[in-house]
Amino acid sequence: MTQIPPSSNAAAVALSDLTYLHPGGRGVEDVTLMLPAGAVLGLLGPNGSGKSTILSLVAGFRAPQQGQVRVLGEPVGRHLRRHLGVLFQESCLDPLMTVRETLWLHGRLFGTGRGALRRRSDELLALAGLAERADDPVETLSGGMKRRLELLRAVLHGPRLLLLDEPSLGLDPNSKATLWEMLLQVRAQGAALLVATNDVAEAERYCDTVAFLRDGRVIAAGAPADLKRNLRRDSVRVEWPSAPSHIAATLAGWEGVGRVTCAPPLLHATVDSASTFVPQLFRIANGAVQGIRIRESTLEDAYFQLVGTPLDSDAPAPVGEELGSP
Amino acid sequence: MTAFAAAPITAAAIACGALLQRDLRAFLRSRSQLYSSVLLPLMLLAILGTGVSDGLNPASAIIRDGDYVSYLAPGMIALTALFSSTFSSASFYRDRENGMLRTLLASPHSAHTILLGKALAAVVIGTAQALIILAVAVLIPGIDLAWQYGWLGGLAMVVAGILALNVMLSGFALLIATRIRTMQGFHLVMNLVLFPLFFLSGAFFPLDELPEWLRILGLINPLTYPVDLLQTAAYAANTDGFLGPAIDFAVLGGLALALFTVGLRRSARAA
Repeated sequence: MTQIPPSSNAAAVALSDLTYLHPGGRGVEDVTLMLPAGAVLGLLGPNGSGKSTILSLVAGFRAPQQGQVRVLGEPVGRHLRRHLGVLFQESCLDPLMTVRETLWLHGRLFGTGRGALRRRSDELLALAGLAERADDPVETLSGGMKRRLELLRAVLHGPRLLLLDEPSLGLDPNSKATLWEMLLQVRAQGAALLVATNDVAEAERYCDTVAFLRDGRVIAAGAPADLKRNLRRDSVRVEWPSAPSHIAATLAGWEGVGRVTCAPPLLHATVDSASTFVPQLFRIANGAVQGIRIRESTLEDAYFQLVGTPLDSDAPAPVGEELGSP
Repeated sequence: MTAFAAAPITAAAIACGALLQRDLRAFLRSRSQLYSSVLLPLMLLAILGTGVSDGLNPASAIIRDGDYVSYLAPGMIALTALFSSTFSSASFYRDRENGMLRTLLASPHSAHTILLGKALAAVVIGTAQALIILAVAVLIPGIDLAWQYGWLGGLAMVVAGILALNVMLSGFALLIATRIRTMQGFHLVMNLVLFPLFFLSGAFFPLDELPEWLRILGLINPLTYPVDLLQTAAYAANTDGFLGPAIDFAVLGGLALALFTVGLRRSARAA
Protein backbone atom coordinates (compact mmCIF):
# COMPACT_ATOMS: atom_id res chain seq x y z
CA MET A 1 0.00 0.00 0.00
CA THR A 2 1.31 3.44 -0.88
CA GLN A 3 2.38 5.63 2.00
CA ILE A 4 1.76 8.87 0.13
CA PRO A 5 -0.98 10.72 1.98
CA PRO A 6 -3.73 11.89 -0.34
CA SER A 7 -3.97 15.63 -0.61
CA SER A 8 -6.10 17.03 2.17
CA ASN A 9 -7.14 20.07 0.12
CA ALA A 10 -8.26 18.15 -2.93
CA ALA A 11 -11.86 17.43 -3.77
CA ALA A 12 -13.05 14.31 -2.01
CA VAL A 13 -14.38 13.01 -5.31
CA ALA A 14 -13.92 14.31 -8.85
CA LEU A 15 -15.58 12.41 -11.68
CA SER A 16 -15.00 13.51 -15.25
CA ASP A 17 -16.77 12.11 -18.30
CA LEU A 18 -17.18 8.85 -16.47
CA THR A 19 -18.69 5.93 -18.35
CA TYR A 20 -19.28 2.40 -17.16
CA LEU A 21 -21.84 0.18 -18.87
CA HIS A 22 -22.93 -3.12 -17.38
CA PRO A 23 -23.12 -6.16 -19.67
CA GLY A 24 -26.90 -5.59 -19.80
CA GLY A 25 -26.28 -2.12 -21.24
CA ARG A 26 -27.21 0.02 -18.22
CA GLY A 27 -24.73 1.84 -16.03
CA VAL A 28 -23.51 5.43 -16.19
CA GLU A 29 -22.53 7.61 -19.12
CA ASP A 30 -20.56 10.84 -19.29
CA VAL A 31 -20.93 11.60 -15.61
CA THR A 32 -19.06 14.65 -14.39
CA LEU A 33 -19.46 15.53 -10.73
CA MET A 34 -17.42 17.03 -7.93
CA LEU A 35 -17.69 16.53 -4.19
CA PRO A 36 -15.62 19.06 -2.23
CA ALA A 37 -13.82 17.87 0.91
CA GLY A 38 -16.15 17.88 3.91
CA ALA A 39 -19.32 18.34 1.85
CA VAL A 40 -22.37 16.13 1.25
CA LEU A 41 -23.36 15.17 -2.29
CA GLY A 42 -26.59 13.28 -2.86
CA LEU A 43 -27.21 11.12 -5.92
CA LEU A 44 -30.95 11.17 -6.42
CA GLY A 45 -32.70 8.95 -8.90
CA PRO A 46 -34.94 5.93 -9.23
CA ASN A 47 -33.63 2.40 -8.95
CA GLY A 48 -31.45 1.53 -11.92
CA SER A 49 -30.48 5.15 -12.58
CA GLY A 50 -26.79 4.50 -11.91
CA LYS A 51 -26.35 5.68 -8.30
CA SER A 52 -24.80 2.48 -6.99
CA THR A 53 -22.62 2.16 -10.07
CA ILE A 54 -21.15 5.59 -9.34
CA LEU A 55 -20.46 4.57 -5.75
CA SER A 56 -18.78 1.34 -6.81
CA LEU A 57 -16.58 3.26 -9.28
CA VAL A 58 -15.59 5.73 -6.57
CA ALA A 59 -14.84 2.88 -4.17
CA GLY A 60 -12.64 1.29 -6.83
CA PHE A 61 -14.74 -1.88 -6.98
CA ARG A 62 -15.02 -1.34 -10.72
CA ALA A 63 -12.72 0.33 -13.20
CA PRO A 64 -14.25 2.99 -15.46
CA GLN A 65 -14.49 2.15 -19.14
CA GLN A 66 -14.03 5.80 -19.99
CA GLY A 67 -13.31 8.97 -18.08
CA GLN A 68 -11.58 9.51 -14.78
CA VAL A 69 -12.28 9.00 -11.10
CA ARG A 70 -10.16 10.91 -8.62
CA VAL A 71 -10.62 10.34 -4.93
CA LEU A 72 -8.93 12.64 -2.41
CA GLY A 73 -6.86 14.04 -5.24
CA GLU A 74 -5.52 10.71 -6.52
CA PRO A 75 -6.61 8.28 -9.22
CA VAL A 76 -8.86 5.76 -7.54
CA GLY A 77 -7.24 2.56 -6.32
CA ARG A 78 -7.26 0.00 -3.52
CA HIS A 79 -4.60 1.98 -1.65
CA LEU A 80 -7.18 4.69 -1.00
CA ARG A 81 -9.64 2.36 0.70
CA ARG A 82 -8.20 3.00 4.11
CA HIS A 83 -9.54 6.54 3.75
CA LEU A 84 -12.98 5.34 2.64
CA GLY A 85 -15.92 4.14 4.68
CA VAL A 86 -18.57 2.17 2.86
CA LEU A 87 -22.14 1.54 3.94
CA PHE A 88 -23.77 -0.98 1.65
CA GLN A 89 -27.45 -0.95 0.84
CA GLU A 90 -28.10 -4.46 2.12
CA SER A 91 -27.14 -5.58 5.58
CA CYS A 92 -23.59 -6.97 5.61
CA LEU A 93 -23.24 -8.31 9.12
CA ASP A 94 -22.40 -11.71 10.50
CA PRO A 95 -25.40 -12.49 12.72
CA LEU A 96 -23.32 -14.76 14.97
CA MET A 97 -20.63 -12.21 15.80
CA THR A 98 -21.17 -9.84 18.69
CA VAL A 99 -21.41 -6.10 18.22
CA ARG A 100 -17.94 -5.56 19.64
CA GLU A 101 -16.41 -8.36 17.57
CA THR A 102 -17.86 -6.80 14.43
CA LEU A 103 -16.05 -3.56 15.15
CA TRP A 104 -12.91 -5.37 16.28
CA LEU A 105 -12.61 -7.31 13.01
CA HIS A 106 -13.11 -4.22 10.92
CA GLY A 107 -10.64 -2.22 12.98
CA ARG A 108 -7.98 -4.91 12.65
CA LEU A 109 -8.53 -5.12 8.88
CA PHE A 110 -7.85 -1.40 8.75
CA GLY A 111 -4.77 -1.79 10.94
CA THR A 112 -6.09 0.02 13.99
CA GLY A 113 -4.01 -0.81 17.07
CA ARG A 114 -5.67 -2.87 19.80
CA GLY A 115 -5.71 -0.11 22.42
CA ALA A 116 -6.92 2.57 20.05
CA LEU A 117 -9.51 0.14 18.69
CA ARG A 118 -10.92 -0.53 22.15
CA ARG A 119 -11.14 3.16 22.95
CA ARG A 120 -12.64 4.09 19.60
CA SER A 121 -15.17 1.24 19.76
CA ASP A 122 -16.29 2.26 23.26
CA GLU A 123 -16.63 5.86 22.17
CA LEU A 124 -18.65 4.99 19.05
CA LEU A 125 -20.84 2.42 20.80
CA ALA A 126 -21.76 5.04 23.40
CA LEU A 127 -22.47 7.57 20.65
CA ALA A 128 -24.78 5.14 18.85
CA GLY A 129 -26.53 3.98 22.01
CA LEU A 130 -25.20 0.46 21.58
CA ALA A 131 -22.82 0.32 24.55
CA GLU A 132 -25.13 -1.94 26.53
CA ARG A 133 -25.49 -4.32 23.60
CA ALA A 134 -21.75 -4.53 22.92
CA ASP A 135 -21.47 -8.19 23.84
CA ASP A 136 -24.74 -9.31 22.27
CA PRO A 137 -24.82 -11.24 19.01
CA VAL A 138 -25.75 -9.10 16.04
CA GLU A 139 -28.76 -11.33 15.32
CA THR A 140 -30.45 -10.05 18.49
CA LEU A 141 -30.37 -6.38 17.39
CA SER A 142 -33.28 -4.50 15.86
CA GLY A 143 -33.08 -3.31 12.24
CA GLY A 144 -32.26 0.24 13.32
CA MET A 145 -29.51 -0.96 15.66
CA LYS A 146 -27.98 -3.10 12.93
CA ARG A 147 -27.90 -0.12 10.59
CA ARG A 148 -26.23 1.99 13.25
CA LEU A 149 -23.69 -0.74 13.84
CA GLU A 150 -22.93 -0.85 10.12
CA LEU A 151 -22.41 2.89 10.18
CA LEU A 152 -20.09 2.58 13.19
CA ARG A 153 -18.12 0.00 11.27
CA ALA A 154 -17.90 2.33 8.27
CA VAL A 155 -16.58 5.24 10.34
CA LEU A 156 -14.46 3.28 12.83
CA HIS A 157 -11.15 3.89 11.06
CA GLY A 158 -11.78 7.61 10.61
CA PRO A 159 -12.42 7.75 6.85
CA ARG A 160 -12.21 11.00 4.94
CA LEU A 161 -14.89 9.95 2.49
CA LEU A 162 -18.04 8.00 3.30
CA LEU A 163 -19.90 6.18 0.53
CA LEU A 164 -23.47 5.56 1.59
CA ASP A 165 -25.85 3.46 -0.47
CA GLU A 166 -29.43 4.14 0.61
CA PRO A 167 -28.30 4.63 4.22
CA SER A 168 -31.72 4.90 5.76
CA LEU A 169 -33.67 2.48 3.59
CA GLY A 170 -36.26 0.62 5.62
CA LEU A 171 -35.66 2.55 8.84
CA ASP A 172 -38.42 4.09 10.93
CA PRO A 173 -38.35 7.90 11.30
CA ASN A 174 -36.61 7.80 14.70
CA SER A 175 -33.87 5.46 13.53
CA LYS A 176 -33.48 7.55 10.39
CA ALA A 177 -33.01 10.73 12.43
CA THR A 178 -30.48 9.02 14.73
CA LEU A 179 -28.55 7.71 11.75
CA TRP A 180 -28.34 11.13 10.16
CA GLU A 181 -27.37 12.71 13.46
CA MET A 182 -24.40 10.34 13.49
CA LEU A 183 -23.59 11.06 9.86
CA LEU A 184 -23.60 14.79 10.47
CA GLN A 185 -21.18 14.31 13.36
CA VAL A 186 -18.87 12.41 11.03
CA ARG A 187 -19.18 15.22 8.57
CA ALA A 188 -18.44 17.78 11.26
CA GLN A 189 -15.14 15.98 11.80
CA GLY A 190 -14.23 16.74 8.19
CA ALA A 191 -15.38 13.70 6.24
CA ALA A 192 -17.16 14.11 2.91
CA LEU A 193 -20.33 12.12 2.26
CA LEU A 194 -21.43 10.69 -1.09
CA VAL A 195 -24.98 9.46 -0.65
CA ALA A 196 -27.03 7.41 -3.09
CA THR A 197 -30.68 7.82 -2.23
CA ASN A 198 -34.17 8.01 -3.57
CA ASP A 199 -35.40 9.63 -0.40
CA VAL A 200 -36.20 13.19 -1.43
CA ALA A 201 -36.61 14.55 2.09
CA GLU A 202 -33.23 13.15 3.06
CA ALA A 203 -31.51 14.65 0.03
CA GLU A 204 -33.18 18.01 0.51
CA ARG A 205 -32.42 18.23 4.20
CA TYR A 206 -28.90 16.90 4.47
CA CYS A 207 -27.13 17.32 1.13
CA ASP A 208 -25.19 20.43 0.10
CA THR A 209 -25.48 19.39 -3.52
CA VAL A 210 -27.86 17.02 -5.21
CA ALA A 211 -27.36 15.38 -8.60
CA PHE A 212 -30.47 14.20 -10.43
CA LEU A 213 -29.82 10.96 -12.26
CA ARG A 214 -31.83 9.30 -14.95
CA ASP A 215 -30.78 6.32 -17.08
CA GLY A 216 -27.16 6.65 -16.00
CA ARG A 217 -26.80 10.33 -16.78
CA VAL A 218 -26.67 13.39 -14.58
CA ILE A 219 -29.55 15.55 -15.74
CA ALA A 220 -29.07 18.37 -13.26
CA ALA A 221 -26.96 19.11 -10.23
CA GLY A 222 -26.91 21.90 -7.70
CA ALA A 223 -27.84 22.97 -4.23
CA PRO A 224 -31.37 21.84 -3.30
CA ALA A 225 -32.49 25.48 -3.04
CA ASP A 226 -31.16 26.22 -6.54
CA LEU A 227 -32.81 23.16 -8.01
CA LYS A 228 -36.11 24.22 -6.47
CA ARG A 229 -35.75 27.84 -7.50
CA ASN A 230 -38.29 27.71 -10.32
CA LEU A 231 -40.89 25.78 -8.38
CA ARG A 232 -44.11 27.37 -7.21
CA ARG A 233 -45.51 26.75 -3.72
CA ASP A 234 -47.82 23.81 -4.38
CA SER A 235 -47.19 20.66 -6.30
CA VAL A 236 -50.03 19.10 -8.27
CA ARG A 237 -49.67 15.68 -9.81
CA VAL A 238 -52.56 14.61 -11.99
CA GLU A 239 -53.36 11.23 -13.43
CA TRP A 240 -54.91 12.06 -16.77
CA PRO A 241 -54.25 9.36 -19.38
CA SER A 242 -56.22 11.09 -22.15
CA ALA A 243 -54.66 14.52 -21.65
CA PRO A 244 -54.37 16.28 -25.03
CA SER A 245 -50.83 16.81 -26.30
CA HIS A 246 -51.04 20.61 -26.08
CA ILE A 247 -52.24 20.61 -22.47
CA ALA A 248 -48.87 21.41 -20.92
CA ALA A 249 -48.54 24.56 -23.00
CA THR A 250 -52.11 25.56 -22.23
CA LEU A 251 -51.76 25.15 -18.47
CA ALA A 252 -48.39 26.89 -18.40
CA GLY A 253 -50.11 29.95 -19.79
CA TRP A 254 -52.45 30.22 -16.83
CA GLU A 255 -51.70 32.75 -14.14
CA GLY A 256 -49.91 31.39 -11.10
CA VAL A 257 -48.78 28.23 -12.87
CA GLY A 258 -45.10 27.36 -13.15
CA ARG A 259 -43.53 24.80 -15.39
CA VAL A 260 -45.84 22.00 -16.48
CA THR A 261 -44.50 18.58 -17.39
CA CYS A 262 -46.54 15.98 -19.18
CA ALA A 263 -45.33 12.37 -18.95
CA PRO A 264 -48.46 10.37 -19.84
CA PRO A 265 -50.45 9.25 -17.97
CA LEU A 266 -49.10 11.84 -15.52
CA LEU A 267 -49.25 15.59 -15.65
CA HIS A 268 -47.18 17.56 -13.18
CA ALA A 269 -47.24 21.23 -12.32
CA THR A 270 -46.20 23.49 -9.54
CA VAL A 271 -48.56 26.32 -8.88
CA ASP A 272 -48.90 29.31 -6.58
CA SER A 273 -52.19 28.03 -5.24
CA ALA A 274 -53.56 24.55 -5.75
CA SER A 275 -56.98 25.66 -4.51
CA THR A 276 -57.27 28.02 -7.49
CA PHE A 277 -55.64 25.74 -10.06
CA VAL A 278 -57.41 22.44 -9.36
CA PRO A 279 -61.05 23.57 -9.93
CA GLN A 280 -60.00 25.18 -13.23
CA LEU A 281 -58.24 21.98 -14.23
CA PHE A 282 -61.27 19.82 -13.46
CA ARG A 283 -63.41 22.12 -15.58
CA ILE A 284 -61.28 21.67 -18.70
CA ALA A 285 -60.59 17.97 -18.07
CA ASN A 286 -64.29 17.30 -18.15
CA GLY A 287 -64.22 14.27 -15.89
CA ALA A 288 -61.16 12.64 -17.46
CA VAL A 289 -58.91 13.10 -14.41
CA GLN A 290 -58.47 9.77 -12.64
CA GLY A 291 -56.42 10.88 -9.66
CA ILE A 292 -54.76 13.89 -8.17
CA ARG A 293 -52.13 14.52 -5.50
CA ILE A 294 -51.52 17.92 -3.99
CA ARG A 295 -48.78 18.85 -1.55
CA GLU A 296 -46.14 21.44 -0.89
CA SER A 297 -43.43 21.48 -3.57
CA THR A 298 -40.26 19.58 -2.78
CA LEU A 299 -37.13 18.46 -4.53
CA GLU A 300 -39.19 15.63 -6.00
CA ASP A 301 -41.04 18.23 -8.07
CA ALA A 302 -37.79 19.77 -9.19
CA TYR A 303 -36.75 16.28 -10.29
CA PHE A 304 -39.97 15.79 -12.26
CA GLN A 305 -39.62 19.16 -13.93
CA LEU A 306 -35.94 18.98 -14.74
CA VAL A 307 -35.76 15.30 -15.66
CA GLY A 308 -39.18 15.05 -17.30
CA THR A 309 -40.23 11.87 -15.50
CA PRO A 310 -41.29 11.24 -11.92
CA LEU A 311 -38.70 10.09 -9.42
CA ASP A 312 -40.73 7.03 -8.48
CA SER A 313 -40.73 5.55 -11.99
CA ASP A 314 -38.53 2.70 -10.90
CA ALA A 315 -36.91 0.35 -13.33
CA PRO A 316 -35.41 -2.89 -12.12
CA ALA A 317 -31.67 -2.57 -11.57
CA PRO A 318 -29.65 -4.60 -14.06
CA VAL A 319 -27.68 -7.54 -12.82
CA GLY A 320 -24.46 -6.36 -11.18
CA GLU A 321 -25.66 -2.82 -10.63
CA GLU A 322 -25.11 -2.67 -6.93
CA LEU A 323 -22.40 -1.28 -4.76
CA GLY A 324 -21.68 -4.58 -3.13
CA SER A 325 -19.56 -6.11 -5.84
CA PRO A 326 -15.98 -5.27 -5.06
CA MET B 1 -7.64 7.87 13.84
CA THR B 2 -5.00 5.25 13.43
CA ALA B 3 -5.65 3.76 10.02
CA PHE B 4 -2.49 1.79 9.47
CA ALA B 5 0.66 2.78 7.76
CA ALA B 6 2.32 -0.60 8.30
CA ALA B 7 4.34 -2.38 5.65
CA PRO B 8 2.11 -4.33 3.24
CA ILE B 9 3.24 -7.71 4.55
CA THR B 10 2.68 -6.70 8.17
CA ALA B 11 -0.72 -5.26 7.29
CA ALA B 12 -1.66 -8.46 5.44
CA ALA B 13 -0.45 -10.57 8.37
CA ILE B 14 -2.56 -8.52 10.79
CA ALA B 15 -5.59 -8.95 8.51
CA CYS B 16 -5.04 -12.71 8.16
CA GLY B 17 -4.62 -12.99 11.94
CA ALA B 18 -7.87 -11.12 12.54
CA LEU B 19 -9.76 -13.32 10.07
CA LEU B 20 -8.26 -16.45 11.60
CA GLN B 21 -9.23 -15.34 15.08
CA ARG B 22 -12.75 -14.53 13.95
CA ASP B 23 -13.32 -17.92 12.29
CA LEU B 24 -11.80 -19.75 15.26
CA ARG B 25 -14.16 -17.94 17.59
CA ALA B 26 -17.13 -18.81 15.37
CA PHE B 27 -16.01 -22.44 15.26
CA LEU B 28 -15.66 -22.71 19.03
CA ARG B 29 -19.11 -21.19 19.39
CA SER B 30 -20.65 -23.71 17.00
CA ARG B 31 -20.84 -26.68 19.35
CA SER B 32 -22.59 -28.94 16.84
CA GLN B 33 -19.78 -28.48 14.31
CA LEU B 34 -17.18 -28.98 17.00
CA TYR B 35 -18.71 -32.20 18.32
CA SER B 36 -19.91 -33.76 15.09
CA SER B 37 -16.58 -33.55 13.30
CA VAL B 38 -14.82 -35.18 16.28
CA LEU B 39 -17.51 -37.62 17.33
CA LEU B 40 -18.16 -39.32 14.00
CA PRO B 41 -14.56 -40.49 13.49
CA LEU B 42 -14.46 -41.67 17.12
CA MET B 43 -17.73 -43.58 16.69
CA LEU B 44 -16.45 -45.17 13.49
CA LEU B 45 -13.28 -46.12 15.28
CA ALA B 46 -15.22 -47.74 18.12
CA ILE B 47 -18.02 -49.41 16.14
CA LEU B 48 -16.46 -50.20 12.77
CA GLY B 49 -13.03 -50.89 14.24
CA THR B 50 -14.24 -53.29 16.88
CA GLY B 51 -16.85 -54.84 14.59
CA VAL B 52 -14.34 -55.66 11.86
CA SER B 53 -11.59 -56.70 14.31
CA ASP B 54 -13.78 -59.08 16.27
CA GLY B 55 -16.45 -59.98 13.74
CA LEU B 56 -14.42 -60.51 10.58
CA ASN B 57 -10.93 -61.29 11.87
CA PRO B 58 -9.10 -59.52 9.02
CA ALA B 59 -6.07 -61.45 7.84
CA SER B 60 -4.20 -58.88 5.71
CA ALA B 61 -0.44 -58.72 6.22
CA ILE B 62 -0.71 -54.97 6.68
CA ILE B 63 -3.25 -55.21 9.51
CA ARG B 64 -1.04 -56.39 12.36
CA ASP B 65 -2.50 -59.34 14.27
CA GLY B 66 -5.94 -58.63 12.82
CA ASP B 67 -6.09 -55.48 14.98
CA TYR B 68 -8.33 -53.44 12.72
CA VAL B 69 -9.05 -50.71 15.33
CA SER B 70 -5.39 -49.68 15.36
CA TYR B 71 -5.22 -49.87 11.56
CA LEU B 72 -8.29 -47.65 11.28
CA ALA B 73 -6.99 -44.93 13.65
CA PRO B 74 -4.78 -43.01 11.14
CA GLY B 75 -7.62 -43.05 8.64
CA MET B 76 -9.97 -41.57 11.20
CA ILE B 77 -7.49 -38.80 11.88
CA ALA B 78 -7.52 -38.00 8.17
CA LEU B 79 -11.32 -38.23 8.12
CA THR B 80 -11.52 -35.68 10.92
CA ALA B 81 -9.39 -33.29 8.90
CA LEU B 82 -11.66 -33.90 5.93
CA PHE B 83 -14.85 -33.13 7.88
CA SER B 84 -13.43 -30.17 9.68
CA SER B 85 -11.90 -28.62 6.61
CA THR B 86 -15.18 -28.99 4.71
CA PHE B 87 -17.17 -27.38 7.53
CA SER B 88 -14.70 -24.55 7.95
CA SER B 89 -14.50 -23.83 4.24
CA ALA B 90 -18.26 -23.46 4.24
CA SER B 91 -17.77 -20.22 6.20
CA PHE B 92 -16.80 -18.66 2.88
CA TYR B 93 -20.37 -19.32 1.71
CA ARG B 94 -21.86 -17.98 4.95
CA ASP B 95 -19.87 -14.80 4.49
CA ARG B 96 -21.02 -14.51 0.92
CA GLU B 97 -24.66 -15.04 1.90
CA ASN B 98 -24.76 -12.65 4.85
CA GLY B 99 -22.82 -9.97 2.98
CA MET B 100 -19.72 -10.07 5.20
CA LEU B 101 -17.55 -10.94 2.22
CA ARG B 102 -18.43 -7.58 0.67
CA THR B 103 -17.20 -5.65 3.65
CA LEU B 104 -14.09 -7.78 3.90
CA LEU B 105 -13.33 -7.17 0.24
CA ALA B 106 -13.99 -3.45 0.68
CA SER B 107 -11.08 -3.25 3.12
CA PRO B 108 -7.64 -2.10 1.93
CA HIS B 109 -6.54 -5.70 1.44
CA SER B 110 -6.49 -7.73 -1.75
CA ALA B 111 -8.95 -10.56 -2.25
CA HIS B 112 -5.94 -12.89 -1.97
CA THR B 113 -5.21 -11.71 1.56
CA ILE B 114 -8.83 -11.99 2.65
CA LEU B 115 -9.22 -15.50 1.24
CA LEU B 116 -5.84 -16.53 2.59
CA GLY B 117 -6.95 -15.47 6.07
CA LYS B 118 -10.13 -17.51 5.75
CA ALA B 119 -8.32 -20.54 4.32
CA LEU B 120 -5.77 -20.37 7.15
CA ALA B 121 -8.59 -20.60 9.64
CA ALA B 122 -9.88 -23.74 7.90
CA VAL B 123 -6.37 -25.24 7.98
CA VAL B 124 -5.81 -24.43 11.66
CA ILE B 125 -9.22 -25.76 12.72
CA GLY B 126 -8.85 -28.94 10.63
CA THR B 127 -5.36 -29.58 11.97
CA ALA B 128 -6.34 -28.95 15.59
CA GLN B 129 -9.30 -31.32 15.37
CA ALA B 130 -7.28 -34.07 13.70
CA LEU B 131 -4.67 -33.73 16.44
CA ILE B 132 -7.41 -34.11 19.05
CA ILE B 133 -8.37 -37.46 17.46
CA LEU B 134 -4.71 -38.43 17.42
CA ALA B 135 -4.45 -37.62 21.14
CA VAL B 136 -7.58 -39.66 21.86
CA ALA B 137 -6.22 -42.56 19.78
CA VAL B 138 -2.94 -42.47 21.72
CA LEU B 139 -4.83 -42.51 25.02
CA ILE B 140 -7.14 -45.44 24.15
CA PRO B 141 -5.46 -48.56 25.59
CA GLY B 142 -6.70 -50.90 22.84
CA ILE B 143 -5.05 -48.89 20.05
CA ASP B 144 -1.53 -50.03 19.31
CA LEU B 145 0.52 -47.46 17.39
CA ALA B 146 4.02 -48.64 16.51
CA TRP B 147 5.68 -45.22 15.81
CA GLN B 148 8.38 -46.85 13.69
CA TYR B 149 10.31 -43.57 13.33
CA GLY B 150 10.25 -42.96 17.07
CA TRP B 151 7.52 -41.17 18.93
CA LEU B 152 8.81 -37.66 18.24
CA GLY B 153 9.77 -38.29 14.62
CA GLY B 154 6.46 -40.01 13.92
CA LEU B 155 4.50 -37.22 15.56
CA ALA B 156 6.34 -34.58 13.53
CA MET B 157 5.50 -36.51 10.34
CA VAL B 158 1.85 -36.86 11.38
CA VAL B 159 1.53 -33.14 12.16
CA ALA B 160 3.19 -32.21 8.87
CA GLY B 161 0.94 -34.66 7.02
CA ILE B 162 -2.24 -33.37 8.63
CA LEU B 163 -1.19 -29.79 7.93
CA ALA B 164 -0.48 -30.57 4.27
CA LEU B 165 -3.77 -32.49 3.97
CA ASN B 166 -5.69 -29.51 5.34
CA VAL B 167 -3.90 -27.12 3.01
CA MET B 168 -4.81 -29.39 0.09
CA LEU B 169 -8.45 -29.65 1.20
CA SER B 170 -8.71 -25.88 1.69
CA GLY B 171 -7.32 -25.32 -1.78
CA PHE B 172 -9.81 -27.79 -3.18
CA ALA B 173 -12.66 -26.09 -1.30
CA LEU B 174 -11.58 -22.69 -2.68
CA LEU B 175 -11.61 -24.13 -6.19
CA ILE B 176 -15.09 -25.56 -5.68
CA ALA B 177 -16.27 -22.20 -4.34
CA THR B 178 -15.39 -20.53 -7.63
CA ARG B 179 -17.77 -22.87 -9.47
CA ILE B 180 -20.53 -23.62 -6.99
CA ARG B 181 -22.52 -20.65 -5.78
CA THR B 182 -24.57 -22.16 -2.94
CA MET B 183 -23.59 -23.81 0.32
CA GLN B 184 -25.88 -26.77 -0.38
CA GLY B 185 -24.17 -27.30 -3.72
CA PHE B 186 -20.78 -27.03 -2.05
CA HIS B 187 -21.60 -29.71 0.53
CA LEU B 188 -23.08 -31.93 -2.16
CA VAL B 189 -19.96 -31.71 -4.31
CA MET B 190 -17.63 -32.19 -1.36
CA ASN B 191 -19.57 -35.29 -0.31
CA LEU B 192 -19.82 -36.68 -3.83
CA VAL B 193 -16.15 -36.16 -4.56
CA LEU B 194 -14.38 -36.58 -1.25
CA PHE B 195 -16.17 -39.53 0.28
CA PRO B 196 -15.64 -41.97 -2.59
CA LEU B 197 -12.03 -40.79 -2.70
CA PHE B 198 -11.71 -41.36 1.01
CA PHE B 199 -13.08 -44.90 0.76
CA LEU B 200 -10.42 -45.62 -1.83
CA SER B 201 -7.57 -44.06 0.11
CA GLY B 202 -6.54 -47.07 2.16
CA ALA B 203 -8.14 -45.61 5.28
CA PHE B 204 -10.63 -48.48 5.63
CA PHE B 205 -8.78 -51.32 3.91
CA PRO B 206 -5.26 -51.84 2.58
CA LEU B 207 -4.92 -51.07 -1.12
CA ASP B 208 -2.14 -53.49 -1.97
CA GLU B 209 -4.38 -56.55 -1.83
CA LEU B 210 -7.14 -55.07 -3.99
CA PRO B 211 -7.76 -55.96 -7.66
CA GLU B 212 -5.35 -54.19 -10.01
CA TRP B 213 -7.88 -51.66 -11.33
CA LEU B 214 -8.90 -50.57 -7.85
CA ARG B 215 -5.28 -50.36 -6.77
CA ILE B 216 -4.51 -48.09 -9.75
CA LEU B 217 -7.49 -45.92 -8.86
CA GLY B 218 -6.16 -45.81 -5.32
CA LEU B 219 -2.78 -44.61 -6.56
CA ILE B 220 -4.41 -41.84 -8.59
CA ASN B 221 -6.41 -40.78 -5.55
CA PRO B 222 -4.85 -37.71 -3.82
CA LEU B 223 -6.18 -38.81 -0.41
CA THR B 224 -4.19 -42.06 -0.57
CA TYR B 225 -0.96 -40.21 0.19
CA PRO B 226 -1.90 -38.44 3.44
CA VAL B 227 -3.57 -41.62 4.70
CA ASP B 228 -0.51 -43.68 3.79
CA LEU B 229 1.72 -41.12 5.47
CA LEU B 230 -0.26 -41.22 8.72
CA GLN B 231 -0.35 -45.01 8.68
CA THR B 232 3.38 -45.27 7.99
CA ALA B 233 4.33 -42.73 10.63
CA ALA B 234 2.01 -43.79 13.44
CA TYR B 235 0.60 -47.27 12.89
CA ALA B 236 3.00 -49.36 10.82
CA ALA B 237 5.93 -51.26 12.31
CA ASN B 238 7.76 -51.11 8.96
CA THR B 239 7.13 -49.74 5.47
CA ASP B 240 6.28 -53.09 3.84
CA GLY B 241 3.08 -52.74 1.84
CA PHE B 242 3.06 -48.93 2.22
CA LEU B 243 4.10 -46.25 -0.27
CA GLY B 244 6.48 -44.73 2.28
CA PRO B 245 6.95 -41.20 3.58
CA ALA B 246 9.20 -39.97 0.75
CA ILE B 247 6.55 -40.61 -1.92
CA ASP B 248 3.75 -39.47 0.40
CA PHE B 249 5.42 -36.18 1.26
CA ALA B 250 6.41 -35.51 -2.36
CA VAL B 251 2.90 -36.12 -3.77
CA LEU B 252 0.99 -34.59 -0.87
CA GLY B 253 3.26 -31.56 -0.64
CA GLY B 254 3.08 -30.96 -4.38
CA LEU B 255 -0.69 -31.36 -4.51
CA ALA B 256 -1.24 -29.17 -1.45
CA LEU B 257 0.89 -26.39 -2.88
CA ALA B 258 -0.66 -26.62 -6.36
CA LEU B 259 -4.29 -26.84 -5.22
CA PHE B 260 -3.92 -24.09 -2.64
CA THR B 261 -2.17 -21.72 -5.06
CA VAL B 262 -4.61 -22.32 -7.90
CA GLY B 263 -7.62 -22.30 -5.56
CA LEU B 264 -6.57 -19.03 -3.95
CA ARG B 265 -5.82 -17.38 -7.27
CA ARG B 266 -9.07 -18.46 -8.93
CA SER B 267 -11.31 -17.70 -5.97
CA ALA B 268 -9.68 -14.27 -5.55
CA ARG B 269 -10.41 -13.55 -9.18
CA ALA B 270 -14.01 -14.72 -8.79
CA ALA B 271 -14.64 -12.96 -5.43
